Amino acid sequence: MRISSFKKYFQVAKTSWSGGFVYRLNFVMWRVRNVVQLIAIYFLWFAVMSRNPTAFNYSTSQMLTYILGTSIIRALVFGQRSIDAQGEISSGDLNNYLVKPISYFRYWFSRDIADKLLNILFSIGEITILLFWLRPEIYLQTNPLMLVSFLLASLLAMVMYFYFSFLISMTTFWIPEENGWPQRFFIFVILEFFSGGLFPLDILPPAVYAVLGKLPSAYFLNTPLQIYLGRLDLSQIVTSLFMMAFWIVVLRLLANRTFRKGLKIYGAYGR
Amino acid sequence: MKDMSVISVRHLKKYYRVHEKEPGLKGSIRSLFTRKYTQVKAVDNIDFTIEEGELVGFIGPNGAGKTTTLKVLSGLLYPTSGEVSVLGFNPWDRKAQFQKQFALVMGQKNQLWWDLPPMETFILNKEIYEVPEDQFKKTLDKLIELLDVKDILKIQVRKLSLGQRMKCELIAALLHNPKVLFLDEPTIGLDVVMQKVMRDFVKQYNRQFKSTIILTSHYMGDVKELCERVIIIDKGKILFDGKLQNVIDRFARNKIITVVFSRDIDQRKLAEFGNIREYQFPRAKINVPRKDVAKLSAKLLSDFPVADLVIEEAPIEAIIREVFTGKMKQTNA
Ligand SMILES: Nc1ncnc2c1ncn2[C@@H]1O[C@H](COP(=O)(O)OP(=O)(O)OP(=O)(O)O)[C@@H](O)[C@H]1O
Ligand SMILES: [Mg+2]
Repeated sequence: MRISSFKKYFQVAKTSWSGGFVYRLNFVMWRVRNVVQLIAIYFLWFAVMSRNPTAFNYSTSQMLTYILGTSIIRALVFGQRSIDAQGEISSGDLNNYLVKPISYFRYWFSRDIADKLLNILFSIGEITILLFWLRPEIYLQTNPLMLVSFLLASLLAMVMYFYFSFLISMTTFWIPEENGWPQRFFIFVILEFFSGGLFPLDILPPAVYAVLGKLPSAYFLNTPLQIYLGRLDLSQIVTSLFMMAFWIVVLRLLANRTFRKGLKIYGAYGR
Repeated sequence: MKDMSVISVRHLKKYYRVHEKEPGLKGSIRSLFTRKYTQVKAVDNIDFTIEEGELVGFIGPNGAGKTTTLKVLSGLLYPTSGEVSVLGFNPWDRKAQFQKQFALVMGQKNQLWWDLPPMETFILNKEIYEVPEDQFKKTLDKLIELLDVKDILKIQVRKLSLGQRMKCELIAALLHNPKVLFLDEPTIGLDVVMQKVMRDFVKQYNRQFKSTIILTSHYMGDVKELCERVIIIDKGKILFDGKLQNVIDRFARNKIITVVFSRDIDQRKLAEFGNIREYQFPRAKINVPRKDVAKLSAKLLSDFPVADLVIEEAPIEAIIREVFTGKMKQTNA
């Protein structure tokens, strides 16, 4: 990417960042929702694990670390503004970008980065407070190889989710009702469970995990955190990273194609 | 053969394929599987060329195909058939080189960030169009001065009035000094004072930067004041392309005589002169055929107790209305 091109998208992120602060109340409510949900799941698992410390083949510290970890990874992977793309497609505001020398994908990716940064900052703050308050036993990963793999997996998950989410937004070309929210909402609900947002997926019965663990959704939260907890061996880690790279290529291709197809039928609404 | 015109359109057709759909999400999903298509001929085989520096009025009734044409010229819509070239580019390719040289402003759409002050959008556009710092400052200062918006640059867009917002929309669209400008109803919803400000601005911008401009508007005042040349379009077809004055000469079959009488008169006698548009003593307005104006006004003066008499061109709106309602085709054919 050329320097001027980088400056372009850096400015997009910066503008988005200042725009984000305008929605202070909205953002704070979103964080509150996250914290409340986190605390609820945390105490649920705290109760389960204190009755049965080795249930599901997880130690208490592993389980609680997983739950708290989802908060930060969630901010990194799921933190986004790009859901607004579906509104722009539906309303015709997409026109604003199509006439400008800017890539719609990169535009939203830059804005997502700004949003993720904001969310991660808050998430880290929240977790710190929770740690002081609840003083849970935390699983600390010290193996540098595992830590690097964990970081890499988290970043891959982030990119993978970006294209996946964009693909969902693209359905708005064909189903523009209510700015594409019905289909988006459906995905949100499914994803919460399928990505491992409520609990690690490998506590499910082996037959179920064999399927869910292979779906792309498992890579969003479950895989990075499993790596952090040291529950995957090296060959499993390598396979996972390759699979994620593969999914990125596939989803990117699909998103690009769908976008171009969508543009052809796109009426450029709004007179 | 290289075309020297800034804009050239040949045999352009844009048909929309619309499928009938029951309302709601359910209808949407059902229509994904079974679709009945109908065709809307929004633009139906039009040709025109526009040279550098021209300011052309593009007029026609609702649904005529104006916006559709501008969208094709901007690369937003893929033509059904025909050739389009703007600044030597095929708009649909959406090359950065092309996009840096034109702008599209739609009076009913906005590009400004709703929750931020307009200045933020300006700065973002500077980076998007890769405008050098010094050029940006110079252009911005000039536009701010021309449109007199210094005081509102730091106010959230959502708090601006429609007129203030429109001014800022224009600035956002012009910061990269586009050579070609498409203005789709830029004065819609503005009061008469603000309309005048916009007109003056567009006129000045056109002169100063020698930019090529296509303007659509339902306000004939805009067109009359700004455009020497007009293209009249209806139902996707061009009805007229030429000097605005020629439209008037050719299609204004009548002139309007306004008479003020000093005493009450016999209306029936007056009716022999032409179609009485209104009569309320002491004032009457009569439509008379252009060629008879001199003769009839002389006769009016001799037959009636006239206190005052004025001869006027029919309002441009009325002339255009005649063109739209098909009277033109008869005269033209
Ligand atoms: N996205 C679309 N899908 C299907 N049909 C469309 C679409 N946009 C416009 N049309 C139809 O194409 C025709 C031309 O519309 P267009 O918007 O170009 O008219 P216009 O001259 O700009 O009218 P107005 O003065 O009302 O803005 C109309 O019949 C309209 O219904
Ligand atoms: Mg229109």
